[in-house]
Amino acid sequence: MRALCWEGVGKLAVRDVPDPKIRAEGDLIVRVRASSVCGSDLHLINGYLPAMREGDILGHEFMGEVVEVGPGVRQHRVGDRVVVGSVVACGGCWYCRTEQYSLCDNSNPQPVFTEKLWGHSPAGILGYSHAAGGYAGSHAEYIRVPFGDVGAFGVPEGVPDDSVVFASDAMPTGWMAADFCGLTGGEVVAVWGAGGVGQMAARSAQLLGAERVIMIDRFPDRLATAAERVGVETINYAETDVLEALRELTGGRGPDACIEAVGMESHDVGPTYAYDRVKQSARLQTDRPTSVRQAIMACRKGGTVSIVGVYAGLIDKFPLGAAMNKALVLRMGQMHAQRYIPMLLDRLAAGEIDPGYLATHPIPLEQGARGYELFEKKQDGCLRSVLHP
Amino acid sequence: MTNNGTRWALLGVGTATAVGVGRVVARRRRRHQPDRQDGWYVVRRAVTVDRPRDAVIGFWTDRERLDRALGEWATLDQLDERRWRCVARDPSGGGTEWRAEITVDEPGALRWRVEDTSTPQEGRIELTDAPQGRGTEIRAELRYRSGPVRRLFGLVGGDEPDLALRDTLRRVKALVECGQVIDTRSDPSGRSPAQERATDRMREKLMTGGRA
Ligand SMILES: NC(=O)c1ccc[n+]([C@@H]2O[C@H](COP(=O)([O-])OP(=O)(O)OC[C@H]3O[C@@H](n4cnc5c(N)ncnc54)[C@H](O)[C@@H]3O)[C@@H](O)[C@H]2O)c1
Ligand SMILES: [Zn+2]
Ligand SMILES: [Zn+2]
Repeated sequence: MRALCWEGVGKLAVRDVPDPKIRAEGDLIVRVRASSVCGSDLHLINGYLPAMREGDILGHEFMGEVVEVGPGVRQHRVGDRVVVGSVVACGGCWYCRTEQYSLCDNSNPQPVFTEKLWGHSPAGILGYSHAAGGYAGSHAEYIRVPFGDVGAFGVPEGVPDDSVVFASDAMPTGWMAADFCGLTGGEVVAVWGAGGVGQMAARSAQLLGAERVIMIDRFPDRLATAAERVGVETINYAETDVLEALRELTGGRGPDACIEAVGMESHDVGPTYAYDRVKQSARLQTDRPTSVRQAIMACRKGGTVSIVGVYAGLIDKFPLGAAMNKALVLRMGQMHAQRYIPMLLDRLAAGEIDPGYLATHPIPLEQGARGYELFEKKQDGCLRSVLHP
Repeated sequence: MTNNGTRWALLGVGTATAVGVGRVVARRRRRHQPDRQDGWYVVRRAVTVDRPRDAVIGFWTDRERLDRALGEWATLDQLDERRWRCVARDPSGGGTEWRAEITVDEPGALRWRVEDTSTPQEGRIELTDAPQGRGTEIRAELRYRSGPVRRLFGLVGGDEPDLALRDTLRRVKALVECGQVIDTRSDPSGRSPAQERATDRMREKLMTGGRA
């Protein structure tokens, strides 16, 4: 089959690779119909999470059709249209049984890397490097889905492929970000990052009761799309002092909750950014944390900072004093796909969330490298390229 | 022997067998020196399985399931009421064998001794309830002898028993909790056969051991 492979830092190419096979009772083989790029892939492609091997197949946000089922699969049959959570979860460990799927004990067969780096190993993630289990990804004609009964979900009829594909990752991540905020109704929520994840977080915050959502980015087209599709207020950090603007917009209080949907390649203007870049390229810090710092400084006293942007290692100048003295709640994590997907599919079918507009660039798999280039450089209004094998 | 005793023996046999399998199958990295006591290296490892103690033991009463999980690597023979013999071997050939005698002390506690004299080894396993109803802690202690030269060259019977033990505990946990041990080694990739072999060597390092 054909698949989009990583070939070294910044290099991608479509190659002929072997077809996947059923390996365990619970496996599914899915013929991929839509497979999206995600901000997380950029961290891998650019070598900030140094656990990629030449030839690894990328992609973890996808949907498709079941073409083969292992003998232990109960929930799915050949021909089913399914969306699959990016995070692999066994369904039987304590974390899975308490719906903390991204912390599954048994789904990362190569746990040593993260045990050394983080003390314990979280769940495996499809197509997400050898730190997350070394699974082949979804930018391919076919993919093996382990624990198919736990990870794959039947798709409601009438919802298009390029919409439901985001129930795999961007939607549950955005929902979890808003869920972390503990909203009870009427709050002001600020969201850093107007990518697919940030926009889904903004919509989720509204559905969970936020009265106002303020979104921060530097790309006018992304901010305009968010304003139009989700109904958020916007701040362009390249033109405006974010902390001042947020204080202003909230009557001096600061947002009740701050969601960070940017991650470790956070961009900034000014001297601290230059300092962060130098330190990151010398690996004195592995992550650039501009937006996390801002979120902590901006948040109202006693508020919540919810981090879903991905960080991998160490950061510098973390304003722990602000977090401590303002008694902030910090929540963060990889999303628990399987906890949220069934509920999100209902909301999708009911039209409460419509992520279809994120798929600005549907593109053939063969042009996958181009899809990533458009996405990384945010060219041509690209929010997400969706690859079609 | 009581019914529980039999079940417990099977658990122990399975675990000890898996340790043997780990020893004969995998290539291991060397780690920091373990503690020494009276000329023995001593390592203690534990894992928590999210099932009540009876279920952890009960999993192994299904002899068929046990054979499926470990069978191609090992044979088990019951010697008498309390003693079992297991022989583990490398399924990919090579003729490496590992023989152990396992003695059940009581339900929830057993020990084993490796018979081949080149690498004397003894082990003990105990099950205790984890707090807050979080299942069962499997606690294992392994003692082995090995000269400094053998250790230097990683020749503790061909590999590192401590890593094998940790690997085994993880396998047992996965089998009990979700019925399979995940493996991504044959997932497709765009690698050449030589690149794939190099990647497999790296995968193996990332699969075994864990926190030092
Ligand atoms: N936690 C999870 O489970 C999970 C799942 C999916 C994605 N993610 C992470 O979410 C993050 C966003 O993903 P995405 O797909 O939306 O990526 P994206 O690249 O489309 O969007 C990121 C946005 O952040 C903006 N940005 C950069 N620096 C900024 C700053 N200082 N302040 C405000 N905005 C800034 C960029 O301009 C861009 O629009 C990534 O880090 C990704 O790894 C996490
Ligand atoms: Zn993602
Ligand atoms: Zn699990």
